[in-house]
Amino acid sequence: MQSTATLVSAESPGGNALAGNPLLTLQNCSLTLNDTHILRNIELDIRQGEFVSIIGPSGCGKSTTLRLMLELLKPDAGGRSGAGQVTFPKVKPRRGMAFQKPVLMPWLTIRGNVELSLSLGPQKTPQSLRRGKAEAALELVGLLSYANYYPKQLSGGMQQRVALARTLAAEPELLLMDEPFGALDEMTRNTLNLELLKLWENRANGLKSIVMVTHSLHEAVSLSDRVVVLSSRPAGIRSIIDVPLPKPRSAGFVSVEETPLYQQTIARLRRELQSDD
Amino acid sequence: MTEVSERRPLEILKRYDALLYPLVFISLLLVAWEVSVDAFKIPAYMLPAPSDVLDAMDSDLLNHTWVTLQETLWGFLIANIAGFFVAVMFVHFRPVELGLFPVAIALKTTPLVALAPLLVVWLGTGMASKIAASALICFFPVLINSVKGLRSIDAESDELFRTYQASRQEIFWKLRLPASLPYVMSALKISSSLAVVGAIVGEFVGANAGLGYVVLVSSYHLDTDVMFSAIFAAAFIGLAFFWILEAIDRRFIFWQQEGAD
Repeated sequence: MQSTATLVSAESPGGNALAGNPLLTLQNCSLTLNDTHILRNIELDIRQGEFVSIIGPSGCGKSTTLRLMLELLKPDAGGRSGAGQVTFPKVKPRRGMAFQKPVLMPWLTIRGNVELSLSLGPQKTPQSLRRGKAEAALELVGLLSYANYYPKQLSGGMQQRVALARTLAAEPELLLMDEPFGALDEMTRNTLNLELLKLWENRANGLKSIVMVTHSLHEAVSLSDRVVVLSSRPAGIRSIIDVPLPKPRSAGFVSVEETPLYQQTIARLRRELQSDD
Repeated sequence: MTEVSERRPLEILKRYDALLYPLVFISLLLVAWEVSVDAFKIPAYMLPAPSDVLDAMDSDLLNHTWVTLQETLWGFLIANIAGFFVAVMFVHFRPVELGLFPVAIALKTTPLVALAPLLVVWLGTGMASKIAASALICFFPVLINSVKGLRSIDAESDELFRTYQASRQEIFWKLRLPASLPYVMSALKISSSLAVVGAIVGEFVGANAGLGYVVLVSSYHLDTDVMFSAIFAAAFIGLAFFWILEAIDRRFIFWQQEGAD
């Protein structure tokens, strides 16, 4: 792991502008679970300062790719083309995950739920700082006044924002999102996407990069810098498409959809998704 | 949120309803009973009037009730602590579950009435054998519900905790344990009534105190009024116990979703 880490940083030597350095690299990652071949030879750099979306057919292995990045799953050790690896620069970036469901603990208040990410594992925040950090994160998603409520009392969209606050409170450098707004109605979803975009553009809480799995081409194009298109299972990378839209995007979040560039990118993605193996 | 405050007065009303309706019906039933015993000249050894039963409730009955109550509470306590502990073992160590689960099933399917004489032989005619009988009958439902509860966490919660590299202890205390509470609470309620059954079955087999003993002895003498007083006392223990647990449940397991049983 150490040797590859130096190799990665050697690719883009020194300098102040860290943007562009890989934060995480999937090298030749294949994955077989219970004899099911899910991923094949995924090669992907997540660079600092970029928003990457992953799209692909249902059940192809998009979420699994995120789980590799989180190291919840390990890539196959011995494939036809050698072992797969997930590599990082010298210091592993702090990673946070937002799931499709909010996954809130019903017995904890909203504040308690946000503090949860600060009170687990070897890197937990000292007790005295948790409350402040949790409340700051709730402020970011505009739910500070609900700190003492319980999850049941909040709507689905609000719950998902709490989940986002919980993830942000732990100050992730790499934010992984697994269809975070997929279960919400379209209006709520649009609102939350815009909020996410603003958080991202402000680099809230030290964010460096975001990887988001989505089913929505619009979501992918309006938010990301690059869109990774996966093929059907066993999923490989069919193509990686740069989104040529100007940044920052939050100002023209709605109007950008009418531009030819936006439409062309959507069309291109649609073609990529339809061209079957 | 406004929904919560709007619902409150209605719930208070409902709570009174829950007390008022049964009280009215029970009173009517008692009156009908009293009147018909008198009107139809039913002999007291068959069915004593409620007023006679009330007369039979003396300090003696209170002492016997106290004995049964203690046996019930100890049996309940032991079964719940042991049941939950074994459940934690089951969930964390697969071989323990594989090895002990058939034993637990065997224990459940063996009728307690068949075991009670053995308990008296081993533990004597004092309280210990009744506590054991009470604990035995409670153990299985506690075990099953606790295992179910401790396993009730969903895959995403588990992944969430693993994302933050939570330790096994953290997963237990902050996820498994609270997630299991609604199930454990159901287990407590089920076992509260079973605990009374266990204590009384134990007393039937060999005892010199307790409500089961009173029922048995009064049946020999056809002191039906005394028998009824003991039956009522036993019913009251079970009911009060259940109500207290229900109140605790509503107060502390406020997030409980339907479906835990």
